[in-house]
Amino acid sequence: MFQLSADGKKKVQEYLKRYETKRSAIIPALYIAQQENGGWVSPDVVKHLSEVMELPMTHINEVLTFYTMFNKKPVGRHHIQICTNVSCSMAGGHDLADYLCERLGVVDGEMTKDGRFTISRAECLGSCDTAPVIQINIDDYIENVDKAKLDQLVNQLK
Amino acid sequence: MLKCTINGKEVQVKAGATIIEAYMEAKENIAHYCWHPGLSIAGVCRMCMVEIEGNPRLQIACNTKVAEGMKINNTSAKVKESVEWTLGFHLINHPLDCPICDQAGECGLQEYYMSYGKYNPGMAEQKVKKNKVVDLGSKIVLDSERCILCDRCVRFTSEVSKTNEFGIFNRGDHAEIGTVDGMPVENNYALNVVDICPVGALTSKDFRFKQRVWYLKEFETVCNGCSTGCNIKVHFNENGLYRVKPVHNEAVNGYWMCDQGRDLYKFANKEFRQIKATKNENGHVVTLSAGAAAKEVGAMLNKSSGLALVLTGQYTSEEYNSILSYAKNLSAEIYYWKNNPESWDEFDGILYRGDHNPNTKGLELELSSAGIKAKDLKDLYSAIESGKVKTVVVAAPEVQKNYENLEEVFNKLNKADQLIWLTSGRNDLFEKANYVIPMKSFTEKKGTFVNHKGIEQKISKGVTIVSESLSLSEIVELFKGNDLVGFNIPTYERPQLLGGV
Ligand code: SF4
Ligand code: SF4
Ligand code: FES
Ligand code: FES
Repeated sequence: MFQLSADGKKKVQEYLKRYETKRSAIIPALYIAQQENGGWVSPDVVKHLSEVMELPMTHINEVLTFYTMFNKKPVGRHHIQICTNVSCSMAGGHDLADYLCERLGVVDGEMTKDGRFTISRAECLGSCDTAPVIQINIDDYIENVDKAKLDQLVNQLK
Repeated sequence: MLKCTINGKEVQVKAGATIIEAYMEAKENIAHYCWHPGLSIAGVCRMCMVEIEGNPRLQIACNTKVAEGMKINNTSAKVKESVEWTLGFHLINHPLDCPICDQAGECGLQEYYMSYGKYNPGMAEQKVKKNKVVDLGSKIVLDSERCILCDRCVRFTSEVSKTNEFGIFNRGDHAEIGTVDGMPVENNYALNVVDICPVGALTSKDFRFKQRVWYLKEFETVCNGCSTGCNIKVHFNENGLYRVKPVHNEAVNGYWMCDQGRDLYKFANKEFRQIKATKNENGHVVTLSAGAAAKEVGAMLNKSSGLALVLTGQYTSEEYNSILSYAKNLSAEIYYWKNNPESWDEFDGILYRGDHNPNTKGLELELSSAGIKAKDLKDLYSAIESGKVKTVVVAAPEVQKNYENLEEVFNKLNKADQLIWLTSGRNDLFEKANYVIPMKSFTEKKGTFVNHKGIEQKISKGVTIVSESLSLSEIVELFKGNDLVGFNIPTYERPQLLGGV
């Protein structure tokens, strides 16, 4: 059974107070819980949040399934999202994604057998001027990516 | 009050009313899926478009308030075209299911397609496939491909039943109605979502595939499941009753009813009914007609002393009136059989009450107007034991399942020399009584139920299921040796009471 850490719980409780309605705190709460649960939101997480936030599971699931930023399946330790929106595709985003998938022997959205990586294609990451761009987990951006940078990354990340 | 013009008709509405409410007031048609008068406003289906004079854009009627002097129409070519496109979009991913869909014949999509169909839809894309025949527990089956995401079921379970089972998951054209992990929807108001779902997405397990709706007729009456007395309509044909739906009555049940009550139509159907009278002659059971049995019993009652009459809160006020005056003439003692009186004051906060009788108030009114203080069943048991009471006539409950102590009471009363058991429902147990006489169900007689608030409600004779069955008023005539030809149920007048009940 998933349980938020004491710190996570405190943060969720603060978010609950911050907004006019409790439902508004669902997105930040899901972010916190996703991170504490190894990068994805399991049914257990939804259940736990529903208890902590005193909201029906239905409301949490509605938000969870609406946003692609929440993972409904387990992901690797390094979730690499490759932008394939307009600017990045024009700068070769799809090629990079194909390259990385082939190198790691996975398809889009699949986790590598060793649990290190999940590769997925993302919509615009808001950094078009440095296209192509990739994002690793929640907050690492790598800009002006090319195959060499990807190789380096795969070798580095454990 | 505000004045406005709806399709050329002038109407007055309360300040704050929405345009769609003005349409209802004017009795003008307006297409709508998501708006329901008993729920909050969602404004998501975009079917209720209207043109307001002086306003360049069309507006949705359900979420636009009327302003003084507004001139509104939904008959212009502009509105029609807009609704056609909206309906076209609703149908993009809708399966071609009508031949196998239980909603066909009462479906919002079929209905509006007649006036707003594009008939030559331009969709070249593949339809998005979704979940079909999803089992949502003992009451509901979901077909999410048919859903138009009107959000009514979501709002019902969040605002009315407050159980929050339904939600809309995923996004865009993958958005899908459902419950978390297919969680069953078992709350006591669940079947209301089947009523308000405008399409065939939510269907009732009980009714599914039993009948095409166009083969059904309907009549209105009052539920006999508890002292709330929800207004209902019963759908039936020559083979019996098929389903029950709520009828709006703001003072009693609003737009809803509970699932307990919805299920009770079954007990009025033939397979649950006492069809003929029976007579037990020293363990040998003979069948006879209800009328003949009633006359035999009447003759016997005339001669006997030590008479007791047992009443339950399951009959109409008119019936109590007739049988009480008859009993008075024979100096019979009156006993009151209450089921679960300790929970009579319970209330689920929505509609369902702990008093599972439709006419407790009516019975109490009649008793006090006749100046009778009914005794407890316990007193009757001892009176039977002591030999003071020899003959017992019981107006037994129609909804047997609401009388948990039925068997125990029957066995105790059967210790009397003569037990005459008047019942609409069948039960093998009853054959041990000296006489069992078939009674009418609440769907077969007219009369009055007085609900917990004291509101008098008329029930009407909608069907005849057991042709020989009798009402208490009719049986009294037969007891007296009269014939029923030309017999009319006396009209009800509420007794004037001093002091009240
Ligand atoms: S299932 Fe029916 S009531 Fe619920 S959102 Fe879909 S169409 Fe509306
Ligand atoms: S609340 Fe009572 S009267 Fe209303 S439907 Fe349920 S059982 Fe019948
Ligand atoms: S398109 Fe890739 S960052 Fe905007
Ligand atoms: S009824 Fe007005 S938008 Fe649905």
